[in-house]
Amino acid sequence: MFDKDLLVVNNLTKRFDERSLALDNISFTVKEGEFLSVLGPSGCGKTTIMRILIGLTEPTSGKIYMDGVDITDFDSSNRNMGIVFQNYALFENMTVLENVEYALKIRKDRRASARVDALEMIKRMELTEHAQKRPGELSGGQQQRVAIARTLVLNPKIILFDEPMSALDVATRLQLRKELKKIQKEYGTTMIYVTHDQEEAFSLSDRIMVMSEAHIVQMDTPHNIILHPENQYIKDFVIENLKIKIDSLAVYIEDLNHEEE
Amino acid sequence: MKKSKKETSLILSQVIIAVILFVFILMPFIRMVIGIKKEDIDAIVHSPMFGTAVTNSLKTCITTTIISVLLAMALAFAVQRTGIKGKAFLTVFVTLPMLIPSISVGTSMIVLFGTNGVITNLLHLNNTIYGFWGIVIGAVLYSYPVAFIMFNDVLKYEDASPYEAAQVLGIPKFRRFLAITLPYLKKPLIGAVFSVFSMTVTDYGVPLMIGGKTTTLAVMMYQEVIGQLKFKEGSVIGLFLLIPAFVAFIYNAITSSQPKLAFVSKEYEVKKNRIRDGVSYLLVIAVSLFILILLAAFVMYGFVVRYPRDMTPTLDNVRFFVKIKGLMHLKTSMIISLIVAVIGIAVTFVTAYLTARSGYKSAQFLHLMSMTSLAIPGIVLGLAYVLVFKGTFFYGTLAIIIVVDLMHFFASPYLMMYNSLGKMNQNLEAVGFTLGISRLRMIKDVIIPQIRSTFLEVFSYFFVNSMMTISAVSFLFTYKTKPISLMIGQFEAQMNLECAAIVSLVILVVNLLMKFVIYLIKKQVNRKSISAVNYGS
Repeated sequence: MFDKDLLVVNNLTKRFDERSLALDNISFTVKEGEFLSVLGPSGCGKTTIMRILIGLTEPTSGKIYMDGVDITDFDSSNRNMGIVFQNYALFENMTVLENVEYALKIRKDRRASARVDALEMIKRMELTEHAQKRPGELSGGQQQRVAIARTLVLNPKIILFDEPMSALDVATRLQLRKELKKIQKEYGTTMIYVTHDQEEAFSLSDRIMVMSEAHIVQMDTPHNIILHPENQYIKDFVIENLKIKIDSLAVYIEDLNHEEE
Repeated sequence: MKKSKKETSLILSQVIIAVILFVFILMPFIRMVIGIKKEDIDAIVHSPMFGTAVTNSLKTCITTTIISVLLAMALAFAVQRTGIKGKAFLTVFVTLPMLIPSISVGTSMIVLFGTNGVITNLLHLNNTIYGFWGIVIGAVLYSYPVAFIMFNDVLKYEDASPYEAAQVLGIPKFRRFLAITLPYLKKPLIGAVFSVFSMTVTDYGVPLMIGGKTTTLAVMMYQEVIGQLKFKEGSVIGLFLLIPAFVAFIYNAITSSQPKLAFVSKEYEVKKNRIRDGVSYLLVIAVSLFILILLAAFVMYGFVVRYPRDMTPTLDNVRFFVKIKGLMHLKTSMIISLIVAVIGIAVTFVTAYLTARSGYKSAQFLHLMSMTSLAIPGIVLGLAYVLVFKGTFFYGTLAIIIVVDLMHFFASPYLMMYNSLGKMNQNLEAVGFTLGISRLRMIKDVIIPQIRSTFLEVFSYFFVNSMMTISAVSFLFTYKTKPISLMIGQFEAQMNLECAAIVSLVILVVNLLMKFVIYLIKKQVNRKSISAVNYGS
């Protein structure tokens, strides 16, 4: 389904000091247009990967290639990637329109059409009626859409998501998952999504990279991970947790059916 | 396309700030301490005055701290936890003593309780206020507003959810107070105790005016240096005055290593209680009345021929104040205060930005350095400046007064900036980098617009404190650079309380006007934000 290698990561290691090894010689490839989730518990190194990919943290060693070009030492703004953080980091003093328009106005090649492009993006994200509102006036879901719009308007090849839904309620999360998939389908943008939530990873991803203690434990499609778990860790952390969630959901649905009867 | 390995400008800024703080705070202080010899310490410690001064300082400061902290806590409770009306006005009114120098508070004690004081005459009192109780009452008046502001802020932002949970569980009110309120207030209580003790033990204004024969350590140091030019002796006493301030510094350094993150899921709801409200009204009215009488007494002294003998209204005291170049000293003070406030905003912002948002490991070191001024009382810093800068081109200029004020008051506004910047989303710059927005542009377009009200508060803090300080500047001024606040001591020495009252009123009016202007600007800034939001919706 996805043929072209877009991002190639080779032997990436990150050591913050003598004692803490955040990433231990990891390598992986991301295909163009795919939705890859990086799944793992807190402290496994998943956010470090994200920060290194976008250029906010320097790797101790290793290389990152995008379309065959070594971008390891590139500035964040020159990697053709965008990022959506857990708390969105919207500019609170600006309106939705200004948030989306701001980066465009700074780029010489986009300045002339900044307003038109921003309004177009806002429209596509179904935020037109909120264009003059400030982030504090928006719901969690709307804020996320603004954060995505702000990133997407620059046409990045890859958008990174750092646990963007962990602070939201269940209903909003379900709705946003759908929206995220819809956006990805529409734009064909490659997405890398960091999460500790098994259900989220399995419902969104084309492939999942499961991590533990600075290593990649398994990287495969959701289907293959369930059918062919590589070791006990995958069985315990991924499959068992997923089962518990599904069982709870089943009980909940059963209760609802009883109540309706 | 390749990125620079380090942001050179950020590192350079850190180095510059660290050098400034070292040269203007640590170096003078170290120089002062190094200059002290064992025989100097022995000479002071074994002098007959020293033991008495230590005992007097401890007695007055401990008594003041207990009364001041309890009064401040009670007032904060009255404002935040009761249903009394006019809270905003009362909050401003009970903090008015913060806008005049401590030496004015000392003057007010004489004006109210002196031999010919307004209250002495009104109540036909025979006992003299000069001495222990004079110092304590004056010091309480001078210090309780600081503690009040601390408690008021903390109670204002206390989360009510634990109280509601306790209520649901059937826990009685008194137990709720013991189990929830007191532990919550523990940190600010310790902070208030340190602050009040430290500011009263190092203040010479109140005890100099009303202490009579009760000499405190701060007065002793002032007299050694100003009266007899004994710098070595002054340094030794300064070393002792340093102890409480140093403890306060350590406490602050520990408790403010992380920016405060306020999370209030439920605001406190005041329930009806007539007795509690009645008691609160009594307390707040009593304190307000006392402050009102104090202001009225200043006016009475300043605008009559000679209180209480000749009560004919006159502007003679104002004319005298003008005649002896009072307006020139007022202008000097205002210039100093404005420059300190403007430079203060820039320096505290840059420093706080580097410590709260740069992410460098060295930020922690700079943070600690930025708070060192808390450990050095103004009077000690002033003396240290004399020892280091005397004989240089810097000494005797307006610049040295500006720098000493800036450094003396640096820590608190720095912490205001640090907390505001620390509370902002930590990923803002990261998002900026990925969007191709430089750090400087982010600061200009995103960071600064969000902390405009902190800028105004910092400006106000520097201005008001520079207008009324008598500590660090007292050893450094010349006739041309003399701030207006130092005229009060001069008038008191000439037994001219009428003009001392005029000067105190002038400082109060200027500071009140500044506070009012800042209030109006803040309102305007907030209105702009609200109208932008309303326009959007």
